[in-house]
Amino acid sequence: MYSLLGGIFLGWSLGANDASNIFGTAVSSRMIKFWTAALLASIFVILGALISGQAGIETLKGLTSFNVSQAVISSIAAALTVSAMTFLGLPVSTSQAVVGAIIGISIINSQLNVAGLGKVLICWFTTPVGGALITMVLYRLLAFVYNHLKIGLFGSDQLLKICLVISGSYGAYALGANNVANVTAVFVGAGTLSIFGAALIGGLSIAFGILTFSRPVMETIGKKLVALDPFSALMVSIAVGVTIHIYTLIGVPVSSSQAVVGSVLGIGIIKGASTVSIHTLKNILLAWFLTPVVACLLSIIITFGSYLEYTGGF
Amino acid sequence: MFKFFFKKENKVEELIYNYLENFQLIYENFEEAVFSCIKKPHCKEFNFLKEQTDKYESKADDIIDEINNLMYGKVLIPDSREDIMKLLHGLDKIPGYLEIVLFMIKYQKLVIPEKFFKDIQDLIKISLEACETLSKQVVGFIKKETGTRAFMNTIDKHESHCDYIEKRLIQKIFTSNIDPFVKLQLKELIICMGDISDQADRVSKMVNILSMKRRV
Repeated sequence: MYSLLGGIFLGWSLGANDASNIFGTAVSSRMIKFWTAALLASIFVILGALISGQAGIETLKGLTSFNVSQAVISSIAAALTVSAMTFLGLPVSTSQAVVGAIIGISIINSQLNVAGLGKVLICWFTTPVGGALITMVLYRLLAFVYNHLKIGLFGSDQLLKICLVISGSYGAYALGANNVANVTAVFVGAGTLSIFGAALIGGLSIAFGILTFSRPVMETIGKKLVALDPFSALMVSIAVGVTIHIYTLIGVPVSSSQAVVGSVLGIGIIKGASTVSIHTLKNILLAWFLTPVVACLLSIIITFGSYLEYTGGF
Repeated sequence: MFKFFFKKENKVEELIYNYLENFQLIYENFEEAVFSCIKKPHCKEFNFLKEQTDKYESKADDIIDEINNLMYGKVLIPDSREDIMKLLHGLDKIPGYLEIVLFMIKYQKLVIPEKFFKDIQDLIKISLEACETLSKQVVGFIKKETGTRAFMNTIDKHESHCDYIEKRLIQKIFTSNIDPFVKLQLKELIICMGDISDQADRVSKMVNILSMKRRV
């Protein structure tokens, strides 16, 4: 049971950080109350993990086969990488950290699944691009419908609020389904958990992170990103949910942060405005490279460290 | 279907329509008050109508306060909240100008010379037509109806016409042979009357911008 603590810690930090990608713009701009968002996100993350989390768990489990201590090491390496990147202010992806850590241990075990890894890397690249494309298509289509709706200012306001709640819940469902693999898939590979058990514990730990520590991140995400108008915020929310859901169906855990940045860029392209600064883009590219590399190195270092033995005095 | 979840929003919408009805009562009373004063200075009817105008103006303040309280209770999404508050703040300046005009007439004991009757009547009529059109434009904006720009153009025409009358009146006042002190009093009154259509024009342009901003 104690061996799961590393995974639970990772799930908690994922929940605390990534829920902001789903409900952040709505909460920070006070369109939805924090507790409404947190409760909905928690419920739908657990549902997503239980109903659709299996494919991602299978993919990550298939990258390599670990024993329990290696599973714990990979979780700790990923969690430390996420914490370090957050401390440095870089946009961190838990999925990249987890996969980086898995690669590190796979290198030591000399059993890396190159085909599976290739699929994951392609998906990493296409997440922000997909987010941007989906946002652009959705924006054009739904803006046409929205502009032709025969409802007043108050009606359209209420419609946007309802749609934000629905799209946020859908995004949370997709997040749970996609990212639960990051949290507990290695324990399935190590034989500690069944797939259902991994989905349940992973989902619960992400929900715990959302309920206990996501408030500060949710309340600041809208200020860190560009201020979006309510309709654009809704488009970003739907596009993030759809993007993550597509990768869930493919069975690859991806970063919701990168999906959000891609979506916001998509809004920028549509509106002809600069929605993300060059500085932010540089940081994202740096984090794309650094996160898996650091996690990989950390998992190797911790594994070697675990082999060291205390041999007594001089 | 979702009305149940948006009780406060529905209350704000209802209050805005109440405000606009009350706004109409203010300018109707104001018109009657000014015309009665022109016909018969300091008559009882004028005093009664002035009191009525003050009463409705005070009611308008109460409605705005109630809307403010609901808005600070986080009704509507922030963008809409800001738009509505800006709009009501601009609109609520008009009853203030109407009250000032009546206040000046009553407490400065102004008697409008007969040679200015026609122009002042025109100035008031056109200014209040601008207010009436503005009220329709605001309803159209809230109901997301088309025609906001057409209303804005009408109000703009009224405002230009009022400006023309205002200048002509001031010129006439200073070329007349009335007491110089009364000349200054009348000039101040005319400028204040001109502020009504100026403010209506400003709010109308704001409504047009808000309406364009809300298109995605």
